[in-house]
Amino acid sequence: MLPFCLYFVAAMITGFNVYTLLAMTLYGVPFNPLEFVSLLGSLCLMIAAFISLFRPYVAARVALVASLLIWSFYGPAIAKLVRTKVNNHSVLSASLVSHASPYSQSR
Amino acid sequence: MILPYLAIALLTLATVYSAIVSFRQTEGAAPSWIFPTAASRPTRIIVGSLGLALLISVGLWLGLGARNNSLRSSRFLIPEGYTGWVRVEFEVQGAAPLPMEGGEYVLRIPADGVLQTSSAEQYGWAKDHYYYYSAQSERVIPASGPDELIWGRINGEESGARGKRKYEEFFVGTAEQFNNQMRE
Repeated sequence: MLPFCLYFVAAMITGFNVYTLLAMTLYGVPFNPLEFVSLLGSLCLMIAAFISLFRPYVAARVALVASLLIWSFYGPAIAKLVRTKVNNHSVLSASLVSHASPYSQSR
Repeated sequence: MILPYLAIALLTLATVYSAIVSFRQTEGAAPSWIFPTAASRPTRIIVGSLGLALLISVGLWLGLGARNNSLRSSRFLIPEGYTGWVRVEFEVQGAAPLPMEGGEYVLRIPADGVLQTSSAEQYGWAKDHYYYYSAQSERVIPASGPDELIWGRINGEESGARGKRKYEEFFVGTAEQFNNQMRE
């Protein structure tokens, strides 16, 4: 039961997270091809969850490959986030833009 | 905002667990709750069915949510040559509602860049369009790509002397103008 729950929940959460990021493309946000690789990894992890009910060791290998596929997106994303924070680069966030807006100063 | 952190934590757990199980010596090892063998037939049927039901439910929820969220797109008409911040304030009492043309809300921005409307703000996914307008014509403002002129779009809500006010803002201009504006 443990492998099933772990793979299933991880696949759901990572898949949903990347799905929401992909949905942002409708707003004109450029998409990263690695998001598709990550989504494929989540699908494989889901398959691994069901395999784990029958053959846990085969499922573990499938889950490992799937996890690496998902990491192909999360790894660079985390690295970029850390690099940005270390270099103290300004991150374009809603709050920053809000503060730069002249309307926010007259509130 | 907790979702990405949760995803990373679960992914780390799944990776470590699957790596340990994959490279573990299985000969002579007794099954335990952490390294179980195959589940019994009734467990497989129950857990598999519940898992599939949950998957289908989430799929339906996402599908229906996307359908219900199909809001109308907006057509922003900005005075020809305007550069700077544009602000749209929603649910302003006494202001005119947004007109509709061709299935789109039309937001004609005045020369000062601030439009007030009594209409409610739209939430969901839609592709909006931006145009420069003059007395003679309208021309498309690129909102993406190398010639992009629309930046820093945000939605918000503020409380002040005039009560709560929902607004949307974005910057019209080149990337350089936007960056200069951000530095000021």
